[in-house]
Amino acid sequence: MFKNYFKIAFRNLARNKIYSLINIAGLAIGLACAMLIILYVKDEISYDRFQLKADNIYRIVTHNVDKNGGKIHKDPNTGYLQGPRFMQNIPEIKNFVRIQQGNENIKLGDEVKNQELLYVDSSFFKIFSFPLVSGNVNNCLNEPLSVVMTEDAARTQFGTTNVIGRIVMMKDDSVFVPHKVTAVVKNCPQNSSIKFDMLLPIRESQADATNSKNWFNSFLNTFVVLNPHSDIQSVESKMQKFYVTDTKDAIISLKKQFGDVVESWKSEYHLQPFLAMHLSTELPSQNGLSGASNPMYSYILSGIALFVLLIACINFVNLTVARSVKRAKEIGIRKVVGSDRKQLIFQFLGESFLLCLIAFVLAIALVQLSLPIFNMLSNKALALSYLFDIKLVAGYILLFVFTTLLAGFYPAIVLSGYKPVKSLYNRFNNVGKNYLQKSLVVLQFTLAAFLIIATLTIYKQFNFLTNEKLGYDDTDIVTIQKDFKTHEEAWLFKNELLKNPGIVSVAPRNGGSWSTIAKLGNDSTINFDYETIDDSFLPVLKIPLALGRNFSSEFPADSANSILVNETFVKKAGWKNPIGQTVNFWYNNNKIYTVIGVVKDYHFESLNKKIGPQLFTMKPENPYGMVFIKIKPNTASVSLMAIQKSFKQLFPLNPYSYVFMNEKNRKAYEAEAKWKQIMLFGALLTIFISCIGLFGLSVLSAEKRTKEIGIRKVLGASVNGVVTILSKDFLKLVFISLVIAIPAAWLASNKWLENYPYRISLSWSLFALGALLVILIALITVSFQAIKAAVANPVKSLRTE
Amino acid sequence: MIELKGIYKWVNTGNNRTFLLKDINLTVKQGEFISIMGPSGSGKSTLLNVIGMLDEFDEGEYIFMNEPVHKLKEKQRAALYKQYIGFVFQAYHLIDELTVYENIETPLIYQDIKSSERKAMVADILDRFNIVGKKDLFPTQLSGGQQQLVGIARALIANPKLLLADEPTGNLNSKQGEEIMNLFIQLNKDGVTIIQVTHSEKNAAYGSRIINLLDGRIEK
Repeated sequence: MFKNYFKIAFRNLARNKIYSLINIAGLAIGLACAMLIILYVKDEISYDRFQLKADNIYRIVTHNVDKNGGKIHKDPNTGYLQGPRFMQNIPEIKNFVRIQQGNENIKLGDEVKNQELLYVDSSFFKIFSFPLVSGNVNNCLNEPLSVVMTEDAARTQFGTTNVIGRIVMMKDDSVFVPHKVTAVVKNCPQNSSIKFDMLLPIRESQADATNSKNWFNSFLNTFVVLNPHSDIQSVESKMQKFYVTDTKDAIISLKKQFGDVVESWKSEYHLQPFLAMHLSTELPSQNGLSGASNPMYSYILSGIALFVLLIACINFVNLTVARSVKRAKEIGIRKVVGSDRKQLIFQFLGESFLLCLIAFVLAIALVQLSLPIFNMLSNKALALSYLFDIKLVAGYILLFVFTTLLAGFYPAIVLSGYKPVKSLYNRFNNVGKNYLQKSLVVLQFTLAAFLIIATLTIYKQFNFLTNEKLGYDDTDIVTIQKDFKTHEEAWLFKNELLKNPGIVSVAPRNGGSWSTIAKLGNDSTINFDYETIDDSFLPVLKIPLALGRNFSSEFPADSANSILVNETFVKKAGWKNPIGQTVNFWYNNNKIYTVIGVVKDYHFESLNKKIGPQLFTMKPENPYGMVFIKIKPNTASVSLMAIQKSFKQLFPLNPYSYVFMNEKNRKAYEAEAKWKQIMLFGALLTIFISCIGLFGLSVLSAEKRTKEIGIRKVLGASVNGVVTILSKDFLKLVFISLVIAIPAAWLASNKWLENYPYRISLSWSLFALGALLVILIALITVSFQAIKAAVANPVKSLRTE
Repeated sequence: MIELKGIYKWVNTGNNRTFLLKDINLTVKQGEFISIMGPSGSGKSTLLNVIGMLDEFDEGEYIFMNEPVHKLKEKQRAALYKQYIGFVFQAYHLIDELTVYENIETPLIYQDIKSSERKAMVADILDRFNIVGKKDLFPTQLSGGQQQLVGIARALIANPKLLLADEPTGNLNSKQGEEIMNLFIQLNKDGVTIIQVTHSEKNAAYGSRIINLLDGRIEK
């Protein structure tokens, strides 16, 4: 019997090429999307689960309550003391490991390169499950001058993985110190939050380990291993209690130095489950942790995949039911010759099964083809070999069965219910209202329109982010990272560079971003970003002053006494006359600085962040860490060479690398750029599949109405008139879709835009454009068939009836 | 074999009730060859469908092979006609996607007959109807007469006791029609009870008894 069913199914597929093509293409795309997203989501939830002790590992994090706003500031960082002291005093804590990110200058042949690595405690390999290729888990990190590297790192360094006992030269101030390789570890799995190339033992001096003030200096990640089944809340409260007692003396001595503000440094201790880190939106993954993602991405991607699959299934349902007039005769005959309803249901389910099977195989090929693009877009390294995971295979089979049933069940029920007397005697009437078909089309186009408008919003916001004036000029600026020992060293480099005709100006600044707190007046404090510059920084970046003057060599005391602040700083401080106001730094033994100028607000960070208070100083004690070099336009290659030459001459033992500032700025929006593309793909796929479905329906509708069109034409209807009649019904549905989709898209877009402090305002033109696009695409799809039907010779169509 | 007692069938349109069948009383004995005649809309096909259990009736009793059809459930009725009744239609009603062979085989599949047995039975009937050469063709590749032959072969494949034919020659030319009628006579001689609906006096005459219908009523 099954043979018979499949024979019929195959012949049906082969005979109705348009219909089969629409269904198979649509379902294959839908299934491929779903498969990709299953891969993605599986990777997301499998993150870090390869760690055997994952369930008992926690990260120590702190919550700080901001007294002014009452807002809780969550901080994933801890210091040297939290790990060892908590372990000594809380019985549930069995072990701890601290991880700090850093980099070292390593000799590689004649070159010096900058190597990112992690400083970790010797317990690292006892807590985390990174298998060693060679070396000893128990002592590979015991010696201070040992180094552990991954197979890849070993290959780049030595060209082989058999490297135990070999020496890596790492720069310490001005000499290279030999480090011995004690272990080689397998490359970190891609779904690991902790990723590294090299590990060094953490460098903690005896003084650091005993100084209780270090409770308040947070710069690394501390992980603890708890006894299984420990009560987290009780451990947390024990931690808190111990922290309060242990810091009592330190607080008293700090208060003497800094005053009452020390109270606000007190933290509340919490434990974050290791497995919760990857998808945490509150606590960033930093300092040796990476790859964290927002669970919203999983939701959005799953949503898009579900949309696409749903739309493809709707095509199947709609086309199958619409085609049922043609199948009705067969159904009638089968019933007359003895089939019962159950057998017919199985037959139709068998057909959708076959169709889905073909689509499924195609989908696997599509996934394989599109994986590189998808990996690029989603920032993952997924492979189809993942497929050989039992759970995933089970997931795909489930998806397949689900799709088959979703697409096949309703048509099977409807079709098998036809009464043979009606279908065999041409009394069959399928002209009814077809509310189901219509609402499904509306659903399709609602989803498609929603995604199109959402995509337009993202595009517009992205354009805004990348084209908005930053408040400074980032063109033709090359930045170079270099830790200068003194300001004079930086200026020496600067003067050396300025000898070059291609270089316009040079400005040093601190590397990385600094922030600190200062006292204003008597009791108010202010948090701000803190830049160490010289008098050339503002001119090089063309940052205008709102008030006062820039640092100047004419005022030699500037470096010791003066500061600049930005407008936001002034606003936060509540100053009416900022010039001449004073700022008192906590960490500077209450030294007082005077404001000499106000810098116009500029986006010193990406537009994803609101401009905060910023303060500029020339303090000689603060080291410069980078230089901004303005080069003449269109001299990039020559100037870069000159820069490198000067650099190598002055600092032969330092790694050299440069970044163009505008490129770096653009990179800040990589996430947006990727989501822009993902949404675009999603929108294109949904509208495409919706349209091929609509096309199929219009073909069937035109076929069904051949006689009506013939009669109308005989009675004098024009081609235009007939096209209008045929297109009108479908366009009406598209309009209804827009009415639903526009408010939904407006809400969702608004919600999304709220993530951005600087954003576009949603204008009606954006929605109009989206609506117009949808209508146009639908119109082209439908009228194509309508025109074909309308110009047909009525004599022919009437005769065939 | 068949006993219809006071069969009524109607449709309600608004407040009016239109009778399709009105007080039909009919007895058919095994081995009869009955022709039902009447003008268009007189209820011939409806009566045939009621007898064939494809259509329901609203009132009356119908006893088929000693089974009270009006009291049977859908499933039992289906089992009954599956076993005893074969249908032939004016428009042949073959499945276009299946070959001649497969079309004839279909009823056997639904009766759960084994593949080897099916092969033998289909081969036998193809032989009997002289259409062995056509067995791999699709219906659209055949003439009307040939299609109707296949239709009859399919109706007979499961050895029904009763053959119901709704204007079997309606779409055929007179020569083809004659052939079909001669086939019916032959079948009738072999023991198959036949009820046919026809417009043509000539074809009706092939039957052993003629029933005239007018406005859903049997004319006496």
